[in-house]
Amino acid sequence: MIYKQLIQLWKWLKFILMPNNTAMPSDVSGAEVDMYKIDDNRKLPGDLAMWFFILAELTVFAVFFIGFAVAENLNLTMFAEGKAQLHKVAGLVNTIALITSSYFVAISLHSMRENKDKQTISRLALALMFASVYVVLKLWEYQALFSQGIDIETNTFFTLYFLITAFHFMHILLGMVILLYMAINVYKGKYRDPETENEFSGFESGACYWHMVDLLWIILFPLIYVI
Amino acid sequence: MKAWQRFALSWGWLIILTFTSVAIGQYFQSASFNTLGFISIVMLIVAMKGQQIIDVFMELKHAPRLWRNIMLAYVIVIPVIITIIYV
Repeated sequence: MIYKQLIQLWKWLKFILMPNNTAMPSDVSGAEVDMYKIDDNRKLPGDLAMWFFILAELTVFAVFFIGFAVAENLNLTMFAEGKAQLHKVAGLVNTIALITSSYFVAISLHSMRENKDKQTISRLALALMFASVYVVLKLWEYQALFSQGIDIETNTFFTLYFLITAFHFMHILLGMVILLYMAINVYKGKYRDPETENEFSGFESGACYWHMVDLLWIILFPLIYVI
Repeated sequence: MKAWQRFALSWGWLIILTFTSVAIGQYFQSASFNTLGFISIVMLIVAMKGQQIIDVFMELKHAPRLWRNIMLAYVIVIPVIITIIYV
């Protein structure tokens, strides 16, 4: 699987870096072919406005990530000492919770398309439950640091740590509100309007927002806890 | 392969990659290893996890190429920049 995924990433990079080479890779077959051909029928999940919002969010976090890396490079000892005081297991459990939550959101969209409303709601509830694990654990982490007398003013590391993780935490809370709103709308049957061009668009937008929050944590976790 | 199987496979792969990343971090923090190699591996794992989320969970694999390219570029360019900064 690792080989297959690396090959996939390499093919994509080659395709992007050599735009004049419109020929498809010779070893591409079957379902993969449509990935390389120009196809106007491809559909973006969710609303276009949500994708612009996602791009804006990703840009803001990119500045945070780069800022954190630059600051660490300038204060290696301080950042190493700061990271040693963080709870790595809590970070790992949070990562698993968010990935699992994202998984349940992805399969809830699938059951939504199959008109299984009850299943959709139960899967969204599971997604919210795993998101709650993240919230509780993150608050516990903050509390543990505060009880040691560590706060946002302790040093540059903790200023950036609290700033970035709290900003991400707010996105989690907003995402949970969106997931709850989606579940209520499914219950009320609001995604079943036959006059709407893409009746699941709102649901897809909410799901993509949640996956973006997960994606950000995927970068944040190794940057703060692992490296 | 059914949709839920595809998602489950992706979820399992993401969990494996997460544990691998943490294990590598634990191992190389105790051993003296060159920073470039260590950070490159961890950031490569970040790119692989990002690709899974974008293509499978976000379902961008069959979305307009521009959007897929922007998102995939993000999970490749940011880890590359981070790697360059650290080394």
